[in-house]
Amino acid sequence: MAKKIKSKDTVALHSFMQDRRTLFCYSGPLTEDLLTTISSPVRHQLSDKETEEVVAKRVFGVFIEQAQNIIRYSHRKTKATGDSIGTIAISIADDGFLIEAVNVVDPEKKDVLEATLVDLSMKDQKELRELYKKRLREGPPEDSSGAGLGFIEMARRVKKFEFDFVESEDGALFVYRGWVS
Amino acid sequence: MIFEAGQRTPLVELTPTSCLIRGECYPENISEWSEPVLKTLEDCLGNDESEFKVDIELYYFNSSSAKFLFDFFEFLEESAENGKAITINWRYRAEDDTMQEAGEDFEEDVSACSYNMVLVEGDSE
Repeated sequence: MAKKIKSKDTVALHSFMQDRRTLFCYSGPLTEDLLTTISSPVRHQLSDKETEEVVAKRVFGVFIEQAQNIIRYSHRKTKATGDSIGTIAISIADDGFLIEAVNVVDPEKKDVLEATLVDLSMKDQKELRELYKKRLREGPPEDSSGAGLGFIEMARRVKKFEFDFVESEDGALFVYRGWVS
Repeated sequence: MIFEAGQRTPLVELTPTSCLIRGECYPENISEWSEPVLKTLEDCLGNDESEFKVDIELYYFNSSSAKFLFDFFEFLEESAENGKAITINWRYRAEDDTMQEAGEDFEEDVSACSYNMVLVEGDSE
């Protein structure tokens, strides 16, 4: 049963978002249509202030890949329409931006995903660029469950990324965080 | 033939002797968007004109669209191998190292077409 949300909880939500300097956050069913709709305001937020255009574009690029990952691979769907559920956020970080994404992962794909990301995290920019080209020419390897170009693209755009798998009542949550500056 | 730019798709202008792609490319469904574009390109390349000029000026494309661009270049290569003189100009802005790298990477797979990296001055968006 849903927890009763009091006025102080609403204020707490406001303070929480402000304190962590979150510019944008969406949590719920995510579709391509919705992504089209939210692309403009997200862009607008990023082009605000003195953010360099190249940085804003990198943040936007990571945001799009993360959002499409949720849409394609979230293992938790709405009952009525089968839309993918997840959370995505962009926040101000010390010297740039933090882009975060969370979704329930398919338990059968978890190990492959983890191995792919561990592998990517050990590669430098030059190796990532080569791998991207290779994947583009050859298509995804047979043992990959869709973890193809998108994660390589993100790894190329971020200064660093972290990922985690956290157990929840909905199943294992896949947590991806990328820093752009 | 003109495919107008959408919020997530670039402008595509095709004539019997030229192709222009300009804007951003991260469509909701890449195959749905690219299918008519590639079909029209096929028609354009199928005529008797001996030369074909391609200008591509993208500001952003997502990883799904990279695959489309790869197929697009492969298609042009085939046509060039069959005798058509094709020139590809990959246009990018000075500060845009992402699009510059992308252009250089596609160039590696192009040999039958003549391929130029063209630096674009200023903000033409």
